[in-house]
Amino acid sequence: MITCADFMAELGNYMDDTVADEVRMQLDNHLVHCPTCQVIVDSTRKTVRIVSDSGSFDLPDAVLKRITVGLMAKIRDERG
Amino acid sequence: MSYFAEAEPSDSFQPFSVFREYFGFVPNLFRLQTLLPRVIMAEAALSRALLFEQLCLPQTLKERLLLALASAHGNKYCVALGSQTLSLLGASECQLNLPSREALLVEFTVKLGTRGHLISREDIERITAGSWTYESLLEAVLLAGWGNFLRTLSIGLAAPSDFAAVPYAATTPLLNIASAEQESFGPYLSAREMPDDFAPFAFLRDNFGFVPNFFQAQTLCPAAVAAEVEALRLILFSDDVLKRKQKERILLAVSGASQNTYCVAVYAEILTLSGVAAEESYQIAADHRQVVLTELDTALLDFAVKLSARPQEFSGEDVESLRQQGVSDQQILEAIAVTALTQFLNTVQWGTGAVPDFAPRRSFRLNVGENANLSSLDSRPTTKEELADPDSELVQRAQSGELEAFEVLAERHSKRVYRTLVGLLGSPEEARDAMQDTFLKAFEHLAGFQGRSKFSTWLLTIASNTGLQRLRERRPMESLDGDGPDGEEGFRPRQVRAWTDDPEQLYSQAEVRALVENCLKKLPAKYRVVVLLRDFEQLSAEDAAIALGLGVPALKSRLLRGRLMLREALAPYFAKSPTGVSA
Repeated sequence: MITCADFMAELGNYMDDTVADEVRMQLDNHLVHCPTCQVIVDSTRKTVRIVSDSGSFDLPDAVLKRITVGLMAKIRDERG
Repeated sequence: MSYFAEAEPSDSFQPFSVFREYFGFVPNLFRLQTLLPRVIMAEAALSRALLFEQLCLPQTLKERLLLALASAHGNKYCVALGSQTLSLLGASECQLNLPSREALLVEFTVKLGTRGHLISREDIERITAGSWTYESLLEAVLLAGWGNFLRTLSIGLAAPSDFAAVPYAATTPLLNIASAEQESFGPYLSAREMPDDFAPFAFLRDNFGFVPNFFQAQTLCPAAVAAEVEALRLILFSDDVLKRKQKERILLAVSGASQNTYCVAVYAEILTLSGVAAEESYQIAADHRQVVLTELDTALLDFAVKLSARPQEFSGEDVESLRQQGVSDQQILEAIAVTALTQFLNTVQWGTGAVPDFAPRRSFRLNVGENANLSSLDSRPTTKEELADPDSELVQRAQSGELEAFEVLAERHSKRVYRTLVGLLGSPEEARDAMQDTFLKAFEHLAGFQGRSKFSTWLLTIASNTGLQRLRERRPMESLDGDGPDGEEGFRPRQVRAWTDDPEQLYSQAEVRALVENCLKKLPAKYRVVVLLRDFEQLSAEDAAIALGLGVPALKSRLLRGRLMLREALAPYFAKSPTGVSA
């Protein structure tokens, strides 16, 4: 019978689907009976989705283009 | 004529009284470092523990060991000092008529001090077969290390002899070189169980998180361990003259040039704790000129490597060159002391055979020419598919000088580089500046890119290191790592309310974006950078691990911890309220 601590130890591999079948069965079985671990798995998956799709830290293409043009001008200057 | 001005020693300066007590005067070697008193304090502590204190070996034999090594190196300063000290002790400096048992120890010390990387268990067994105890052998090992420390100092400082030049004959190699095909590790000596409150070990645990095998291997001489730890504290663990990271790079570069796999491996792993990618550390050890560093930092490493690996070429011009680049005499003195300390550490590791605390990622055993062997110990078969890089054609064109090709690469990857940098640094202005730095470094070092990883991974490696470096400079006193171990250990989720089914719909896209940016900023840098590379840039675990110089398991541990921390920070915004409605 695995505990919540055991489950947490395997959480990364469980989410990446890189655990052996037998271990996955045990983890799935734990999840069925453990609402806390259910919440953690579900909310961690949603965290990854939200973060990946958030568009955070994106800079408009036009601004990036200006920076790149400035960079290349500097490189060309330094090269003489 | 020395490269450095000599200061009048103060009578009240305690380390000088240590030297006076033993030598009857303060040798020039130490007087020339008065600009850096803490370094002299470290050297006095080492002198006392390794040479002045009587342990197993008679004092005259200890001096003979040092003199034999100095002769083998052709080091006039140390030969003169050793000869004078032997005569003060009432002993002849002649090495020719030593009893065979003592000659054995002399031969061993010379071999360890001159070709330490070739020491093997066979050499140790020859000594113990001569009825020398492990304690005596350890003393000889420590003296070989100390001899190399003094030699490096004397060359770096150009210390004038304290006495009239003494004629000496260079010692020819006495032992048959038993050159093991495989890198040889011990441990060769027995170890002693140390009490839990042994202060030097407590200091190491506090600073490194563990006690390296290097020190465990010397527990037969606790005084030496204590002096070495004190020397590390005084010489390495300070930021007032050279920055600690500059000194750590010297340690890596000198150890790499000396082919000491152990010292590179242990220090590379220790530096990962402060956010330095292990790959960067290994590259500094292999060839620091392939690493993106400031001109001044590169010059410092050129200086240290030359002093340690090509001392016959070292001259006042090397000192002058650093001065002209704005390096102060204090800083140069410290670079010399760190180089000397590294020579000591390397020599003692070879002599004790301290076993790597971590599996070395590369062997630095010399195979060909002067360069370290860069063969990867953990290399794995790489398929063609893995090597396929959509940028390879543009990279080749850029490497052949086509600026337009580099411009296309910069445009293609600018968004990812910027995202990584602003995520790490927080400030858009600083991120733009760091992005320019990143591409300039990439352009400068493009010729060295050999396609071992994808170009995008290489670029994000430079970006991550540039960002982490700026963070370190911004907050030198603050750890970038945060507290606690990697992975889920020690991290207990507190927010355990269920989240809404479609959390993104609760807020506008701009609000979600701002929430993520704010929450990510709260993560310690070592977790933040992993989340940025994996969940923002979608690098594979393997590529992210390469970019950060981590093993894949360590990368995965940090990723999980980072994701759990982010989850914790986002939970108040996305969790259902107790009534079933979003909070």
